[in-house]
Amino acid sequence: MEKSTISETKAKGPTVPSIPSAERRLFLRHLGIFAASTTSFLMACSKSLDLSPTGGSMAHSGARVNADGSIDLGAGDIGILNYAYALEQLETAFYTVAQEKTAGLTFNELQILQEIREHELVHREFFRAVLGANAIPDLDFDFSTVNFNDRNNVFQVANILESTGVGAYNGAARYIKNADIIGIAGKIVSVEARHASVTGHMYLPLPGSTYSFGFGTTDSNGLDIVYKPSEVLPVAQGFIKQKLSGANLPTTNA
Amino acid sequence: MNIFNILSDIEKIDGDAAEKFNYSRRKMLKTTSVAAATSGLFFAGVLNKAYGQSNTITDVLNFALVLEYLEAEFYMKGMNSSLNFGADRGLINEIAKHEAQHVAFLKSALGASAVAKPEFDFTAKGAFPNPYTNYPVFLTLAQAFEDTGVRAYKGQAPNLASNRDILEAALRIHSVEARHAGEIRIIRSMSAYASEMNTGGVPAAIYARENNTTHVAGVDIVALSQPKLLFQNNASQMRAMKFAQDSFDEPLTKEEVLAIAGPFIK
Repeated sequence: MEKSTISETKAKGPTVPSIPSAERRLFLRHLGIFAASTTSFLMACSKSLDLSPTGGSMAHSGARVNADGSIDLGAGDIGILNYAYALEQLETAFYTVAQEKTAGLTFNELQILQEIREHELVHREFFRAVLGANAIPDLDFDFSTVNFNDRNNVFQVANILESTGVGAYNGAARYIKNADIIGIAGKIVSVEARHASVTGHMYLPLPGSTYSFGFGTTDSNGLDIVYKPSEVLPVAQGFIKQKLSGANLPTTNA
Repeated sequence: MNIFNILSDIEKIDGDAAEKFNYSRRKMLKTTSVAAATSGLFFAGVLNKAYGQSNTITDVLNFALVLEYLEAEFYMKGMNSSLNFGADRGLINEIAKHEAQHVAFLKSALGASAVAKPEFDFTAKGAFPNPYTNYPVFLTLAQAFEDTGVRAYKGQAPNLASNRDILEAALRIHSVEARHAGEIRIIRSMSAYASEMNTGGVPAAIYARENNTTHVAGVDIVALSQPKLLFQNNASQMRAMKFAQDSFDEPLTKEEVLAIAGPFIK
Protein backbone atom coordinates (compact mmCIF):
# COMPACT_ATOMS: atom_id res chain seq x y z
CA MET A 1 0.00 0.00 0.00
CA GLU A 2 2.80 2.34 0.85
CA LYS A 3 4.52 1.40 -2.34
CA SER A 4 1.48 2.46 -4.27
CA THR A 5 1.94 5.95 -2.89
CA ILE A 6 5.17 6.15 -4.81
CA SER A 7 3.82 4.64 -7.99
CA GLU A 8 0.82 6.91 -7.77
CA THR A 9 3.19 9.82 -7.89
CA LYS A 10 4.66 8.36 -11.02
CA ALA A 11 1.29 7.85 -12.64
CA LYS A 12 0.37 11.51 -12.39
CA GLY A 13 3.07 12.67 -14.72
CA PRO A 14 2.38 14.18 -18.10
CA THR A 15 2.90 11.94 -21.06
CA VAL A 16 3.50 14.62 -23.66
CA PRO A 17 7.06 15.85 -23.68
CA SER A 18 7.35 19.58 -24.06
CA ILE A 19 9.96 22.23 -23.74
CA PRO A 20 9.99 23.54 -20.20
CA SER A 21 9.78 27.25 -19.67
CA ALA A 22 12.17 26.82 -16.80
CA GLU A 23 14.79 25.57 -19.18
CA ARG A 24 15.45 29.07 -20.38
CA ARG A 25 16.14 30.05 -16.83
CA LEU A 26 18.26 27.09 -16.01
CA PHE A 27 20.26 27.70 -19.14
CA LEU A 28 21.42 30.98 -17.72
CA ARG A 29 22.76 29.60 -14.53
CA HIS A 30 26.37 28.85 -13.99
CA LEU A 31 27.87 25.41 -13.99
CA GLY A 32 31.25 23.92 -13.67
CA ILE A 33 34.34 25.99 -13.28
CA PHE A 34 34.77 28.10 -10.23
CA ALA A 35 37.69 29.53 -8.40
CA ALA A 36 38.50 27.09 -5.68
CA SER A 37 37.99 28.68 -2.32
CA THR A 38 40.65 28.03 0.22
CA THR A 39 38.38 28.84 3.11
CA SER A 40 36.78 25.44 3.09
CA PHE A 41 40.15 23.92 3.82
CA LEU A 42 40.29 25.95 6.96
CA MET A 43 37.08 24.52 8.29
CA ALA A 44 38.06 22.03 10.89
CA CYS A 45 34.64 21.48 12.30
CA SER A 46 34.26 17.76 11.93
CA LYS A 47 35.20 14.92 14.16
CA SER A 48 35.60 11.32 13.24
CA LEU A 49 32.53 9.17 13.28
CA ASP A 50 32.13 6.38 15.78
CA LEU A 51 30.17 3.62 14.12
CA SER A 52 30.58 0.99 16.76
CA PRO A 53 28.90 -0.70 18.38
CA THR A 54 25.52 -0.53 16.75
CA GLY A 55 22.58 -2.81 16.27
CA GLY A 56 20.75 -5.20 18.50
CA SER A 57 22.32 -7.80 20.70
CA MET A 58 21.92 -10.64 18.23
CA ALA A 59 22.28 -8.74 14.98
CA HIS A 60 25.60 -8.21 13.30
CA SER A 61 26.44 -4.61 12.51
CA GLY A 62 28.04 -4.64 9.10
CA ALA A 63 26.79 -5.65 5.71
CA ARG A 64 27.26 -9.20 4.51
CA VAL A 65 26.24 -11.44 1.68
CA ASN A 66 23.66 -13.99 2.80
CA ALA A 67 23.70 -17.66 1.82
CA ASP A 68 21.03 -17.01 -0.82
CA GLY A 69 23.20 -14.35 -2.42
CA SER A 70 21.20 -11.41 -1.12
CA ILE A 71 23.03 -8.46 0.34
CA ASP A 72 22.20 -7.65 3.94
CA LEU A 73 22.46 -3.92 4.62
CA GLY A 74 23.34 -4.56 8.25
CA ALA A 75 21.97 -3.26 11.53
CA GLY A 76 21.92 -0.06 13.56
CA ASP A 77 23.58 3.06 12.23
CA ILE A 78 25.72 1.00 9.86
CA GLY A 79 22.57 -0.48 8.38
CA ILE A 80 21.05 2.95 7.86
CA LEU A 81 24.28 4.23 6.32
CA ASN A 82 24.34 1.25 3.95
CA TYR A 83 20.71 1.95 3.11
CA ALA A 84 21.66 5.51 2.16
CA TYR A 85 24.76 4.23 0.36
CA ALA A 86 22.64 1.87 -1.74
CA LEU A 87 20.30 4.73 -2.70
CA GLU A 88 23.20 6.98 -3.60
CA GLN A 89 24.71 4.19 -5.70
CA LEU A 90 21.38 3.88 -7.47
CA GLU A 91 21.08 7.61 -8.12
CA THR A 92 24.66 7.91 -9.36
CA ALA A 93 24.17 4.97 -11.71
CA PHE A 94 20.87 6.31 -13.00
CA TYR A 95 22.27 9.72 -13.90
CA THR A 96 25.44 8.19 -15.33
CA VAL A 97 23.30 6.19 -17.76
CA ALA A 98 20.78 8.98 -18.31
CA GLN A 99 23.37 11.58 -19.31
CA GLU A 100 24.83 9.10 -21.75
CA LYS A 101 21.72 7.50 -23.21
CA THR A 102 18.87 10.00 -23.14
CA ALA A 103 17.96 10.94 -26.67
CA GLY A 104 17.33 14.46 -27.83
CA LEU A 105 18.60 16.32 -24.80
CA THR A 106 19.42 19.95 -25.18
CA PHE A 107 22.88 21.01 -24.03
CA ASN A 108 21.28 22.55 -20.97
CA GLU A 109 19.34 19.42 -20.06
CA LEU A 110 22.49 17.38 -20.44
CA GLN A 111 24.33 19.70 -18.09
CA ILE A 112 21.55 19.43 -15.52
CA LEU A 113 21.75 15.64 -15.51
CA GLN A 114 25.53 15.70 -15.39
CA GLU A 115 25.62 18.14 -12.51
CA ILE A 116 23.21 16.07 -10.43
CA ARG A 117 25.19 12.93 -11.32
CA GLU A 118 28.32 14.47 -9.84
CA HIS A 119 26.48 15.42 -6.63
CA GLU A 120 25.21 11.89 -6.24
CA LEU A 121 28.71 10.61 -6.92
CA VAL A 122 30.04 12.75 -4.07
CA HIS A 123 27.34 11.36 -1.77
CA ARG A 124 28.16 7.81 -2.84
CA GLU A 125 31.89 8.23 -2.30
CA PHE A 126 31.23 9.85 1.06
CA PHE A 127 29.19 6.92 2.35
CA ARG A 128 31.60 4.39 0.91
CA ALA A 129 34.47 6.02 2.79
CA VAL A 130 32.55 6.45 6.03
CA LEU A 131 31.42 2.82 6.01
CA GLY A 132 34.83 1.41 5.10
CA ALA A 133 34.86 -2.34 5.69
CA ASN A 134 31.19 -2.22 6.71
CA ALA A 135 30.06 -1.08 3.27
CA ILE A 136 27.91 -3.22 1.01
CA PRO A 137 29.57 -4.16 -2.30
CA ASP A 138 29.18 -2.18 -5.51
CA LEU A 139 25.70 -2.84 -6.84
CA ASP A 140 24.68 -3.59 -10.43
CA PHE A 141 21.71 -1.86 -12.00
CA ASP A 142 19.03 -2.46 -14.58
CA PHE A 143 17.35 0.61 -16.03
CA SER A 144 15.54 -1.21 -18.81
CA THR A 145 12.20 0.10 -17.52
CA VAL A 146 13.28 3.65 -18.29
CA ASN A 147 12.58 4.99 -21.77
CA PHE A 148 15.74 6.88 -22.57
CA ASN A 149 14.22 7.91 -25.88
CA ASP A 150 11.75 10.07 -23.96
CA ARG A 151 13.44 12.90 -22.09
CA ASN A 152 10.28 13.52 -20.11
CA ASN A 153 10.30 9.94 -18.84
CA VAL A 154 13.92 10.35 -17.83
CA PHE A 155 13.18 13.51 -15.82
CA GLN A 156 10.09 11.85 -14.39
CA VAL A 157 12.12 8.90 -13.11
CA ALA A 158 14.76 11.33 -11.85
CA ASN A 159 12.10 13.28 -9.98
CA ILE A 160 10.70 10.10 -8.44
CA LEU A 161 14.17 8.99 -7.37
CA GLU A 162 14.87 12.37 -5.81
CA SER A 163 11.59 12.61 -3.94
CA THR A 164 11.93 9.01 -2.83
CA GLY A 165 15.39 9.92 -1.58
CA VAL A 166 13.98 12.87 0.35
CA GLY A 167 11.33 10.64 1.90
CA ALA A 168 13.93 7.98 2.67
CA TYR A 169 16.26 10.37 4.51
CA ASN A 170 13.34 11.99 6.32
CA GLY A 171 12.11 8.58 7.41
CA ALA A 172 15.52 7.19 8.40
CA ALA A 173 16.35 9.89 10.93
CA ARG A 174 14.30 8.34 13.72
CA TYR A 175 16.46 5.21 13.55
CA ILE A 176 19.86 6.92 13.71
CA LYS A 177 21.64 6.74 17.05
CA ASN A 178 24.61 8.97 16.38
CA ALA A 179 23.55 12.65 16.38
CA ASP A 180 26.45 13.50 14.05
CA ILE A 181 24.97 11.17 11.45
CA ILE A 182 21.58 12.86 11.88
CA GLY A 183 23.32 16.15 11.13
CA ILE A 184 25.06 14.73 8.06
CA ALA A 185 21.86 13.21 6.73
CA GLY A 186 20.34 16.67 7.07
CA LYS A 187 23.14 18.12 4.95
CA ILE A 188 22.39 15.66 2.16
CA VAL A 189 18.60 15.51 2.20
CA SER A 190 18.17 19.20 1.42
CA VAL A 191 20.35 18.80 -1.66
CA GLU A 192 18.18 15.88 -2.75
CA ALA A 193 15.19 18.18 -2.27
CA ARG A 194 16.85 20.79 -4.50
CA HIS A 195 17.38 18.05 -7.08
CA ALA A 196 13.70 17.21 -6.79
CA SER A 197 12.84 20.83 -7.58
CA VAL A 198 15.18 20.91 -10.57
CA THR A 199 14.00 17.61 -12.04
CA GLY A 200 10.41 18.60 -11.30
CA HIS A 201 10.88 21.72 -13.35
CA MET A 202 12.24 19.72 -16.22
CA TYR A 203 9.56 17.08 -16.06
CA LEU A 204 6.44 19.05 -15.44
CA PRO A 205 6.86 22.16 -17.51
CA LEU A 206 3.24 23.21 -17.70
CA PRO A 207 2.79 26.98 -17.81
CA GLY A 208 1.41 28.34 -14.57
CA SER A 209 1.78 24.99 -12.87
CA THR A 210 3.20 24.60 -9.42
CA TYR A 211 6.02 22.55 -10.87
CA SER A 212 7.28 19.87 -8.56
CA PHE A 213 4.66 20.77 -5.97
CA GLY A 214 2.11 19.29 -8.28
CA PHE A 215 2.98 15.80 -7.12
CA GLY A 216 1.54 15.85 -3.68
CA THR A 217 4.84 15.76 -1.85
CA THR A 218 3.47 17.68 1.12
CA ASP A 219 0.56 16.88 3.39
CA SER A 220 -2.02 19.27 4.83
CA ASN A 221 0.46 20.34 7.51
CA GLY A 222 3.01 21.34 4.89
CA LEU A 223 5.21 18.37 5.83
CA ASP A 224 7.23 16.57 3.17
CA ILE A 225 6.93 12.88 2.34
CA VAL A 226 8.44 10.35 4.71
CA TYR A 227 9.13 6.72 3.90
CA LYS A 228 10.26 3.79 5.96
CA PRO A 229 13.08 1.62 4.56
CA SER A 230 10.50 -1.12 4.03
CA GLU A 231 8.65 1.22 1.67
CA VAL A 232 11.70 2.47 -0.21
CA LEU A 233 13.63 -0.76 -0.69
CA PRO A 234 11.02 -2.44 -2.95
CA VAL A 235 11.06 0.65 -5.19
CA ALA A 236 14.86 0.73 -5.31
CA GLN A 237 14.97 -3.01 -5.83
CA GLY A 238 13.22 -2.51 -9.15
CA PHE A 239 16.48 -1.08 -10.49
CA ILE A 240 19.00 -3.19 -8.56
CA LYS A 241 20.14 -6.59 -9.82
CA GLN A 242 21.31 -7.98 -6.50
CA LYS A 243 18.66 -8.72 -3.90
CA LEU A 244 18.91 -6.29 -0.99
CA SER A 245 17.78 -7.24 2.48
CA GLY A 246 16.82 -4.67 5.07
CA ALA A 247 15.84 -7.39 7.53
CA ASN A 248 18.27 -6.17 10.16
CA LEU A 249 17.62 -2.45 9.78
CA PRO A 250 16.30 -0.79 12.90
CA THR A 251 12.53 -0.59 13.21
CA THR A 252 12.27 1.24 16.52
CA ASN A 253 13.35 4.76 17.42
CA ALA A 254 17.02 5.12 18.29
CA MET B 1 9.70 31.73 31.49
CA ASN B 2 11.40 29.48 28.99
CA ILE B 3 9.04 30.41 26.23
CA PHE B 4 10.69 33.80 26.09
CA ASN B 5 14.12 32.34 25.41
CA ILE B 6 13.75 32.90 21.74
CA LEU B 7 13.03 36.56 22.31
CA SER B 8 15.83 37.07 24.77
CA ASP B 9 18.18 35.40 22.30
CA ILE B 10 17.24 37.97 19.73
CA GLU B 11 17.66 40.71 22.29
CA LYS B 12 21.19 39.54 22.98
CA ILE B 13 22.03 40.00 19.34
CA ASP B 14 19.97 43.10 18.71
CA GLY B 15 20.50 45.29 21.74
CA ASP B 16 17.44 47.49 21.30
CA ALA B 17 15.09 44.68 20.48
CA ALA B 18 13.59 44.50 23.93
CA GLU B 19 11.06 47.15 23.18
CA LYS B 20 10.07 45.49 19.94
CA PHE B 21 8.76 42.49 21.73
CA ASN B 22 6.70 44.21 24.33
CA TYR B 23 3.88 44.30 21.88
CA SER B 24 4.32 40.65 21.04
CA ARG B 25 4.41 39.62 24.66
CA ARG B 26 1.29 41.54 25.53
CA LYS B 27 -0.42 40.12 22.53
CA MET B 28 0.67 36.63 23.40
CA LEU B 29 -0.81 36.84 26.86
CA LYS B 30 -4.09 37.68 25.25
CA THR B 31 -3.97 35.05 22.55
CA THR B 32 -2.44 31.95 24.08
CA SER B 33 -5.77 30.79 25.34
CA VAL B 34 -6.77 30.18 21.74
CA ALA B 35 -5.59 26.65 21.43
CA ALA B 36 -7.05 25.52 18.10
CA ALA B 37 -5.00 22.37 18.34
CA THR B 38 -6.08 20.13 15.53
CA SER B 39 -3.31 18.94 13.27
CA GLY B 40 -0.63 19.30 15.90
CA LEU B 41 -2.59 17.78 18.71
CA PHE B 42 -0.55 14.63 18.68
CA PHE B 43 2.65 16.59 18.79
CA ALA B 44 1.33 18.79 21.52
CA GLY B 45 0.89 15.69 23.63
CA VAL B 46 4.35 14.48 22.79
CA LEU B 47 5.74 17.88 23.52
CA ASN B 48 4.11 18.15 26.91
CA LYS B 49 5.77 14.91 27.88
CA ALA B 50 9.11 16.11 26.59
CA TYR B 51 8.68 19.44 28.28
CA GLY B 52 8.89 17.85 31.67
CA GLN B 53 12.37 16.60 30.83
CA SER B 54 13.79 19.52 28.94
CA ASN B 55 12.79 22.80 27.43
CA THR B 56 15.21 22.41 24.54
CA ILE B 57 12.58 21.10 22.17
CA THR B 58 10.15 23.89 23.01
CA ASP B 59 12.87 26.45 22.41
CA VAL B 60 13.78 24.92 19.06
CA LEU B 61 10.16 24.80 17.92
CA ASN B 62 9.57 28.39 18.97
CA PHE B 63 12.71 29.39 17.09
CA ALA B 64 11.29 27.60 14.04
CA LEU B 65 7.92 29.24 14.58
CA VAL B 66 9.41 32.73 14.46
CA LEU B 67 11.02 31.90 11.10
CA GLU B 68 7.79 30.44 9.79
CA TYR B 69 5.83 33.50 10.95
CA LEU B 70 8.30 35.58 8.97
CA GLU B 71 8.05 33.48 5.82
CA ALA B 72 4.28 33.10 5.98
CA GLU B 73 3.66 36.82 6.39
CA PHE B 74 6.23 37.65 3.73
CA TYR B 75 4.48 35.52 1.11
CA MET B 76 0.96 36.40 2.24
CA LYS B 77 1.71 40.08 1.84
CA GLY B 78 3.19 39.31 -1.55
CA MET B 79 0.12 37.45 -2.74
CA ASN B 80 -2.04 40.33 -1.55
CA SER B 81 0.16 42.94 -3.22
CA SER B 82 0.02 44.20 -6.78
CA LEU B 83 3.22 42.35 -7.72
CA ASN B 84 3.02 40.77 -11.14
CA PHE B 85 4.07 37.15 -10.61
CA GLY B 86 3.29 36.17 -14.17
CA ALA B 87 3.60 32.43 -14.68
CA ASP B 88 5.13 32.06 -11.21
CA ARG B 89 1.93 32.94 -9.36
CA GLY B 90 0.82 29.36 -8.83
CA LEU B 91 4.21 28.37 -7.50
CA ILE B 92 4.55 31.33 -5.13
CA ASN B 93 1.01 30.76 -3.91
CA GLU B 94 1.84 27.12 -3.17
CA ILE B 95 4.91 28.17 -1.20
CA ALA B 96 2.79 30.71 0.70
CA LYS B 97 0.33 27.96 1.55
CA HIS B 98 3.09 25.69 2.87
CA GLU B 99 4.49 28.41 5.11
CA ALA B 100 1.05 29.13 6.55
CA GLN B 101 0.64 25.40 7.16
CA HIS B 102 3.99 25.30 8.96
CA VAL B 103 2.90 28.15 11.22
CA ALA B 104 -0.36 26.40 12.04
CA PHE B 105 1.41 23.11 12.64
CA LEU B 106 4.06 24.52 14.96
CA LYS B 107 1.54 26.63 16.85
CA SER B 108 -0.70 23.69 17.52
CA ALA B 109 2.28 21.52 18.45
CA LEU B 110 3.47 24.15 20.92
CA GLY B 111 0.00 24.92 22.24
CA ALA B 112 0.17 27.46 25.04
CA SER B 113 3.97 27.55 24.76
CA ALA B 114 3.90 29.10 21.30
CA VAL B 115 5.43 32.55 21.02
CA ALA B 116 3.29 35.26 19.46
CA LYS B 117 4.01 36.57 16.02
CA PRO B 118 6.44 39.48 16.02
CA GLU B 119 5.95 42.50 13.79
CA PHE B 120 8.03 42.32 10.64
CA ASP B 121 9.77 44.88 8.45
CA PHE B 122 10.45 43.23 5.11
CA THR B 123 12.51 46.16 3.94
CA ALA B 124 15.03 45.27 6.66
CA LYS B 125 15.17 48.90 7.72
CA GLY B 126 15.38 50.04 4.11
CA ALA B 127 18.00 47.59 2.85
CA PHE B 128 15.39 46.05 0.53
CA PRO B 129 13.25 49.11 -0.07
CA ASN B 130 10.44 47.82 -2.27
CA PRO B 131 9.77 44.08 -1.99
CA TYR B 132 6.07 44.50 -2.77
CA THR B 133 6.41 46.65 -5.86
CA ASN B 134 9.57 45.13 -7.32
CA TYR B 135 9.32 41.43 -8.10
CA PRO B 136 13.09 40.79 -8.34
CA VAL B 137 13.49 42.24 -4.84
CA PHE B 138 10.67 40.03 -3.60
CA LEU B 139 12.43 37.00 -5.10
CA THR B 140 15.76 38.01 -3.60
CA LEU B 141 14.17 38.06 -0.16
CA ALA B 142 12.35 34.80 -0.84
CA GLN B 143 15.68 33.14 -1.59
CA ALA B 144 17.21 34.67 1.53
CA PHE B 145 14.39 33.38 3.75
CA GLU B 146 14.22 29.92 2.21
CA ASP B 147 17.93 29.21 2.29
CA THR B 148 18.15 30.60 5.82
CA GLY B 149 15.23 28.39 6.81
CA VAL B 150 16.90 25.30 5.37
CA ARG B 151 20.09 26.02 7.28
CA ALA B 152 18.22 26.91 10.48
CA TYR B 153 16.28 23.63 10.65
CA LYS B 154 19.40 21.71 9.72
CA GLY B 155 21.30 23.27 12.58
CA GLN B 156 18.61 22.35 15.08
CA ALA B 157 17.93 18.78 13.95
CA PRO B 158 20.50 17.15 16.26
CA ASN B 159 18.95 19.08 19.17
CA LEU B 160 15.66 17.29 18.55
CA ALA B 161 17.16 13.80 18.74
CA SER B 162 15.57 13.22 22.15
CA ASN B 163 12.16 13.13 20.52
CA ARG B 164 12.05 11.24 17.24
CA ASP B 165 8.52 12.22 16.24
CA ILE B 166 9.37 15.89 16.53
CA LEU B 167 12.73 15.35 14.84
CA GLU B 168 10.99 13.73 11.90
CA ALA B 169 8.37 16.47 11.65
CA ALA B 170 11.09 19.13 11.68
CA LEU B 171 13.03 17.33 8.97
CA ARG B 172 9.90 17.10 6.88
CA ILE B 173 9.54 20.88 7.11
CA HIS B 174 13.26 21.24 6.42
CA SER B 175 13.09 19.42 3.08
CA VAL B 176 10.04 21.42 2.02
CA GLU B 177 12.02 24.60 2.66
CA ALA B 178 14.82 23.15 0.53
CA ARG B 179 12.36 22.44 -2.29
CA HIS B 180 11.21 26.05 -1.98
CA ALA B 181 14.79 27.30 -2.07
CA GLY B 182 15.43 25.28 -5.21
CA GLU B 183 12.28 26.59 -6.86
CA ILE B 184 12.97 30.23 -6.02
CA ARG B 185 16.56 29.92 -7.23
CA ILE B 186 15.40 28.44 -10.53
CA ILE B 187 12.93 31.28 -10.98
CA ARG B 188 15.82 33.66 -10.38
CA SER B 189 17.99 31.94 -13.02
CA MET B 190 20.35 30.91 -10.23
CA SER B 191 21.95 27.58 -9.60
CA ALA B 192 19.53 25.61 -7.41
CA TYR B 193 22.41 24.81 -5.05
CA ALA B 194 23.58 27.03 -2.22
CA SER B 195 27.05 28.46 -2.53
CA GLU B 196 29.23 31.11 -0.97
CA MET B 197 30.39 32.17 -4.42
CA ASN B 198 27.14 33.27 -6.00
CA THR B 199 24.79 34.64 -3.37
CA GLY B 200 22.35 36.37 -5.70
CA GLY B 201 22.32 39.62 -3.76
CA VAL B 202 21.27 38.27 -0.38
CA PRO B 203 23.32 39.03 2.75
CA ALA B 204 26.55 37.02 2.63
CA ALA B 205 25.98 35.75 6.18
CA ILE B 206 23.24 33.50 4.81
CA TYR B 207 25.86 31.39 3.02
CA ALA B 208 28.63 31.53 5.60
CA ARG B 209 30.59 28.23 5.66
CA GLU B 210 28.43 26.82 2.86
CA ASN B 211 31.59 25.80 0.99
CA ASN B 212 32.65 23.39 3.70
CA THR B 213 33.67 20.01 2.30
CA THR B 214 34.70 18.24 5.51
CA HIS B 215 31.82 16.38 7.14
CA VAL B 216 33.70 13.56 8.81
CA ALA B 217 37.34 14.02 9.74
CA GLY B 218 39.60 12.14 7.38
CA VAL B 219 37.01 11.72 4.64
CA ASP B 220 38.15 13.96 1.77
CA ILE B 221 35.17 13.98 -0.59
CA VAL B 222 36.98 16.18 -3.11
CA ALA B 223 39.87 13.76 -3.51
CA LEU B 224 37.56 10.73 -3.45
CA SER B 225 35.21 12.01 -6.14
CA GLN B 226 37.65 13.75 -8.45
CA PRO B 227 38.97 10.65 -10.26
CA LYS B 228 35.39 9.47 -10.85
CA LEU B 229 33.96 12.65 -12.38
CA LEU B 230 32.46 12.31 -15.85
CA PHE B 231 35.13 14.49 -17.41
CA GLN B 232 38.80 14.35 -16.57
CA ASN B 233 40.81 17.41 -17.51
CA ASN B 234 42.91 20.17 -15.96
CA ALA B 235 39.83 21.61 -14.33
CA SER B 236 38.83 18.35 -12.61
CA GLN B 237 40.16 19.40 -9.26
CA MET B 238 38.22 22.67 -9.29
CA ARG B 239 35.12 20.94 -10.54
CA ALA B 240 35.40 18.28 -7.85
CA MET B 241 35.66 21.06 -5.27
CA LYS B 242 32.57 22.79 -6.63
CA PHE B 243 30.52 19.60 -6.74
CA ALA B 244 31.64 18.65 -3.26
CA GLN B 245 30.59 22.06 -1.95
CA ASP B 246 27.23 21.97 -3.69
CA SER B 247 26.34 18.40 -2.78
CA PHE B 248 26.16 19.11 0.95
CA ASP B 249 24.15 21.94 2.52
CA GLU B 250 25.50 23.31 5.77
CA PRO B 251 23.78 24.20 9.04
CA LEU B 252 23.63 27.61 10.71
CA THR B 253 23.58 28.10 14.45
CA LYS B 254 20.58 29.66 16.12
CA GLU B 255 22.63 32.78 16.84
CA GLU B 256 23.64 33.11 13.19
CA VAL B 257 20.06 32.74 12.04
CA LEU B 258 18.78 35.31 14.51
CA ALA B 259 21.46 37.75 13.37
CA ILE B 260 20.20 37.29 9.80
CA ALA B 261 16.52 37.54 10.75
CA GLY B 262 16.98 40.40 13.22
CA PRO B 263 16.78 43.29 10.72
CA PHE B 264 13.45 41.93 9.46
CA ILE B 265 11.87 41.95 12.92
CA LYS B 266 10.47 45.26 14.18
